[in-house]
Amino acid sequence: MAYFFSNYHCFLRSVFIVFFFLVSAVARADVPRYGGSLILSSTSDPKSFNDITAQETSTHTVTGNIFEGLTRLNAITLKVEPALAQSWEVSEDGRAWTFHLRPKVVWNDGLPFSADDVVFTFNDLIYNEDIVSSARDIFKIGDEIFKVEKVDDLTVRFTLPVKFAPFLQSMSQSILPKHKLAKAVAEKKFNFTWGIDTPPAEIVGTGPFKLESYRPGERFVLVRNPLYWKKSANGDALPYLDRIIYLIVQNQDTAMLKFLDGEVDLISLRGFEYPMIKPLEAKKNFTVYDSGPDFGSSFFVFNQNTSRNPKTQKPFVDPVKSKWFLDINFRRAIAHAIDKTKMIEILMNGLGYPQNSDMSESAGFFYNPNVEIYEYDLSKAKRILSDAGYRDRDGDGVIEDSSGHPIEFNLFTNSGNVERVQIASIIRHDLQSLGMKVNFLSLEFNTLVTKLNATFDWDAIVLGLTGGIEPHFGKNVWHSTGGLHLWYPQQKTPATAWEKRVDEIFDQGVQELDENKRKTLYDEFQVIISRQLPLIYTVLNSNLYAVRNKFGNLHPTSFGGAFHNIEEIYIK
Amino acid sequence: MLRYILKRLITTLPLLLGMSLILFALMKMTPGNYFDSLKLNPQISPETIDRYIKLYQLDKPLLVQYFSWLTNILHLEFGYSFFYNIPVANVIGGRIWNTFILSFVSLILTWGVAIPLGICAAIYRNKFADRLIQFLSYVALSSPSFFIAMLLLYFVSQSGFLPLGGMHSANYEEFNWIGRFFDVLRHVAIPAIALSIASIGALQRIMRGNMLEVLGQQYILTARAKGLPEQRVIYVHALRNAINPLITLLGYEFSGLLSGAALLEIICSWPGLGALMLTAVQSKDIYLVMATSLMGSVLLIMGNLLADILLVRLDPRIRYE
Repeated sequence: MAYFFSNYHCFLRSVFIVFFFLVSAVARADVPRYGGSLILSSTSDPKSFNDITAQETSTHTVTGNIFEGLTRLNAITLKVEPALAQSWEVSEDGRAWTFHLRPKVVWNDGLPFSADDVVFTFNDLIYNEDIVSSARDIFKIGDEIFKVEKVDDLTVRFTLPVKFAPFLQSMSQSILPKHKLAKAVAEKKFNFTWGIDTPPAEIVGTGPFKLESYRPGERFVLVRNPLYWKKSANGDALPYLDRIIYLIVQNQDTAMLKFLDGEVDLISLRGFEYPMIKPLEAKKNFTVYDSGPDFGSSFFVFNQNTSRNPKTQKPFVDPVKSKWFLDINFRRAIAHAIDKTKMIEILMNGLGYPQNSDMSESAGFFYNPNVEIYEYDLSKAKRILSDAGYRDRDGDGVIEDSSGHPIEFNLFTNSGNVERVQIASIIRHDLQSLGMKVNFLSLEFNTLVTKLNATFDWDAIVLGLTGGIEPHFGKNVWHSTGGLHLWYPQQKTPATAWEKRVDEIFDQGVQELDENKRKTLYDEFQVIISRQLPLIYTVLNSNLYAVRNKFGNLHPTSFGGAFHNIEEIYIK
Repeated sequence: MLRYILKRLITTLPLLLGMSLILFALMKMTPGNYFDSLKLNPQISPETIDRYIKLYQLDKPLLVQYFSWLTNILHLEFGYSFFYNIPVANVIGGRIWNTFILSFVSLILTWGVAIPLGICAAIYRNKFADRLIQFLSYVALSSPSFFIAMLLLYFVSQSGFLPLGGMHSANYEEFNWIGRFFDVLRHVAIPAIALSIASIGALQRIMRGNMLEVLGQQYILTARAKGLPEQRVIYVHALRNAINPLITLLGYEFSGLLSGAALLEIICSWPGLGALMLTAVQSKDIYLVMATSLMGSVLLIMGNLLADILLVRLDPRIRYE
């Protein structure tokens, strides 16, 4: 009998609990809830868990949730906001920055975070001569490094050699734990530390999640860090999600099947998939978001290098061709022959954006829409060419320059990128109808890079570069001394007046702390580029995501993707 | 016999040395190196790239690089992967085993299905069963395995019958060993079937041909004439002679155990060596490529040796001295 009663009691209780949950679910529909997993797919394995020595971005997908910097960039406003530092001030001369660290922050192994960790990250890791890291390139001005010192346990001072406008943004650099890594640094093993063979519990950060497990080639799982410092607006301890599971699915079609099957919560779409996926929204319970144009750039570039090969004393570029490539009218005519609408239609199913400026529209503040825009107009291009002396003189269908040389040049792109190959063939087709002879060849990536960097034996290339919201980080491309100043790299003195002006803008812009004055400078730079056309821009992809309809606080942006505010995301 | 095996093993060493030299030369002859891909990142300076090149000793003369790699091999160190910044052995460790599982299951499946099919087709030569088997074989032979894998995956996504790629379920750790075995088996099914289908078609045809040839021999006629039961004629006298040529083939299949399934692994998200190898070759992660390719070479040599030894055991006419 007692048995019966206790069971009956249990039954009643569970009925009550179920009822309670039903009521609470209805009543609290829009109040964030704890628990649940976000399941994502990743095309590749992480290459390392070491944020300092990692050479590429796929590492950051993992580490971005585990580590934090002193500041962070809000992916919606694109403004710097406090993270591990709760406030900061800058000295009169704009060179000394004092950061007040957030008190009571702990590493996910329970040990307290302090100024020592910040000093360690900079002085012992980034500025360590034995450690190879590209982070060092960001925190170096000329040959001088920043002086980083501890004032007290919760205060750090950075003293810069000169003013550096993107400083606050660069302070989103991940801070790593001294107590975990000091030994590896002392033993000079840091270059090979925190690789993918490290036990997950060793990877210690302050971020909202920590690494739980990693199965190479299959999945890595991040689990909620219960010690995370951040609270939501109504006082909830963040994050809401229990787990983020990344399934490693290399094949995009398999990933798509997994998404449609409900196994994965997000998939980024390519333009040509849109018409197939969009109609399934209601049936499969997801929403497609278009968060605007991609970052980065895609362009057509002519070799304007006028120097000579120091060994053979021959010019890198045939002087006959060099004369065309240096002629602004020639480049302008080509700019009018770039059919961006057609590229967007054919390559991206209409879901792309024409690019007119180096800064992407998604970059927000520094994007200048008022630049020279070259509409697609072949007859105008033809007119410009014939006014500048390029016309068909012997009736063979190929135009010649004023000294009678037929216009013929090579066009390269890297064979791995299907989209670029297609862009190049569309451009080639249009240039041929202008009467030019274009020999198109797609090369292996490394071969192309060798041509751009070392041998300079190329005429024209279709290429793209990564970009961001901070114009200064493109200095290596735009400053005439830069190694990525593609059309004429590493100049001793600027070859043209406009390149001199661009150099001035970049030298001034990095020292100007007034945002609006900076914008005026970089606006001018974008106008100069659009008039001088060292790079002739093509088209950018849209950032399209399909996300399962079960997440709250979801605000996808082009800069941060669908889950940039991962700690606030919850499952409805 | 033992002397023969020893002799074979000793001749393997210069072979491997030669292979490694050719591999190294091939990797080095193509333009550029791994760190070239960093050169197009506006935020990485040329100095940093030089430091990477120094760290991995890519600035040393080629012969020095090769011999320092070779001496490391003698200490069983296979060098560091540029991509992962950790020893190559740690990168490929678990993946070798995964690829091996997939290939092994597919090998069993291929041989387990193809041999009986071939025998059956030979016995019922030109009857309906034979015609059907030959027709299906042509279909199997002419459909690429990645396409079959995509079809199977699509079918599975519609029916929910098997998991969609991967190798372990999310709750794999909670199973006991039987549960774990069946979990992996469920995951391996699609890639293994896709991998086997074309090989079944091919192997079945070889088996059928061999069997028909043997069945036409005088001694089979003799066996039948003296009144042996048909079962015994086929399964004891004919089969043993028909299967000999296939043993050599089995030896070659060993080399494929670690390299045959790259494309399928990518499509079915199987965590093996395939995709790793592909990106390593593309990005010129030299030591990773060297290690995995040499592993394939060792398997090929071992497989051949194994096949030769098996032949001696199965065929009394063959002797090595």
